[in-house]
Amino acid sequence: MIVSAIQTRGLCKTFRTGFWMRPVRAVIDVDLDVKAGEIFGFIGPNGAGKTTTIKMLTGLVLPTSGEAWLNGVSVTEPRSRARLGFLPEGTFFHDYLTGREFLDFHGALLGIPKEVRRERIPKLLARVGLAGAEDRQIRRYSKGMRQRAGLAQSLIGDPELVILDEPMSGLDPLGRKDVRDVILSLRDEGKTVFFSSHILEDAEVICDQVAIILSSRIVKQGYLDELLGQELVGAELTVEGISEDVHQELEREAQRAVMQGHRFLFEFRDEAMAEKALDRVRAAGGRVRSYVPKRKSLEDLLLEGMKQESKS
Amino acid sequence: MSSLNRIWVLAFNTYREAVRDKLLYNLLLFAALMIASSILLAQIQIGKDDRIYRDIGLSAIAFFGVLIAIFVGINLVHHELSTKTVYTMLAKPVRRWEFLLGKYFGLLSLLAVEVAIMSACFLGVLVWAGSTFEMGLVWSIVLIYCELALVTAVAMFFSSFTTPYLSGMFTIALWIIGHLLADLRAFGSKSDLPGLKELLEALYWTLPNLDRLDIKADASAGNPIELARVGAAALYAWLYSFVLMAGAVLLFQRRDFR
Repeated sequence: MIVSAIQTRGLCKTFRTGFWMRPVRAVIDVDLDVKAGEIFGFIGPNGAGKTTTIKMLTGLVLPTSGEAWLNGVSVTEPRSRARLGFLPEGTFFHDYLTGREFLDFHGALLGIPKEVRRERIPKLLARVGLAGAEDRQIRRYSKGMRQRAGLAQSLIGDPELVILDEPMSGLDPLGRKDVRDVILSLRDEGKTVFFSSHILEDAEVICDQVAIILSSRIVKQGYLDELLGQELVGAELTVEGISEDVHQELEREAQRAVMQGHRFLFEFRDEAMAEKALDRVRAAGGRVRSYVPKRKSLEDLLLEGMKQESKS
Repeated sequence: MSSLNRIWVLAFNTYREAVRDKLLYNLLLFAALMIASSILLAQIQIGKDDRIYRDIGLSAIAFFGVLIAIFVGINLVHHELSTKTVYTMLAKPVRRWEFLLGKYFGLLSLLAVEVAIMSACFLGVLVWAGSTFEMGLVWSIVLIYCELALVTAVAMFFSSFTTPYLSGMFTIALWIIGHLLADLRAFGSKSDLPGLKELLEALYWTLPNLDRLDIKADASAGNPIELARVGAAALYAWLYSFVLMAGAVLLFQRRDFR
């Protein structure tokens, strides 16, 4: 039997808040199946229940009902976290420690021998782009550097499973690319990566599977290709050198029209309309600068889910 | 890796965090100044110089020790929770009781070092003044340390389920009441108010009786101090601390880190 890296069944969490201890259902009946060696994106808007689910997986929040297993071991047992690397949301670290001390402390907590830590720490710091900053206190790190230090912390135990809560949040484009590269390299090493994000473009680029969580419930889960399909859902056309009449005509047909200097970008809801517009531009002597057919995106999927949610 | 190793790693990190806290050095500086001030006070007091050195020295060790135990102690536990550094620790195969014990032992190590430094200042004053040094002073300092361990356990207990502000208030209140329990009991026995006697009697037997650990007056006066008394008081402090830490673990065990 193949053991899932993460499996949950009917996982629920209800918090009691306020003076009257009013129940708030943060996570409802979450069933997840994350296969070993995959990158799994846990997608949803803020407040959907991503972080609470992750906290239940990592033993920080106790489930109200349901069960969860990491590599086949119930999350109620501390040994389920023996080969787990975890980066919490935000950059909350012991900032009186230097980068080296910080990793050494977390390595020691995992029982990694001193000589192994001494060898592993510089390599890990270099891997996340912190070489040269190892002896600086974390309080002197920038936000991006702290996120990198946190990522290194999650990898110090050479984990089989890495859970990252919003790892790209607050990072600049370069930082996001670096984190994406680390995640991809982890998969290449055969590790499983489970990460939450509300940055859909990042998830779309690197995930094998995704689960979309909305209002505490999972509304969609599966492989990206299966969820997004191959059908085209529209096209973008960029043209120049068209007359005012043609411009107005295309503007009426398009879902969106944007002027970019002397160029015009038109977004069409379906491919047939876009091709018709393409012919019109050519016939009028305009120049086509780009024609990009559009597949369904994660954003479309999320918006679809949100619409269904609001209807129900 | 054994629980003992994890507790050691956590305790060492707690100690390291505390010694990098400027508040600790400020409190230690004030304690040293207060102990040294006994030299000045002895100059303006006629006679009984030895009593002044001893009274001020022992009181400074106890008072600043409690301040450090309460403020640095509560801050250290709450800092882990409020800054969420606890997340990365408890998401490892670390049991929650190991985390609490690691914090507690780290604080005890810090308090041991802090009491040792203040005691060294105190000894320096006694040597400088040519005052006699008796074992009673050592036993008094030992019991001050036991009291600090107990106060730290009280602070940890409250920290496991409430805010730092309330933890601080409750711990200070319990420290004050703990030193007044005998007086409150005596007051209750003379009171005519219905139920007050029983209430104060119940408090006397349930709250930590810190007066039992206070032998400063006898030590300062040079009165003989029986070892059995010291042993019984120390045992009381450690047993009470054990019960409080067990309570803290039970409360911490069910806590959600939201």
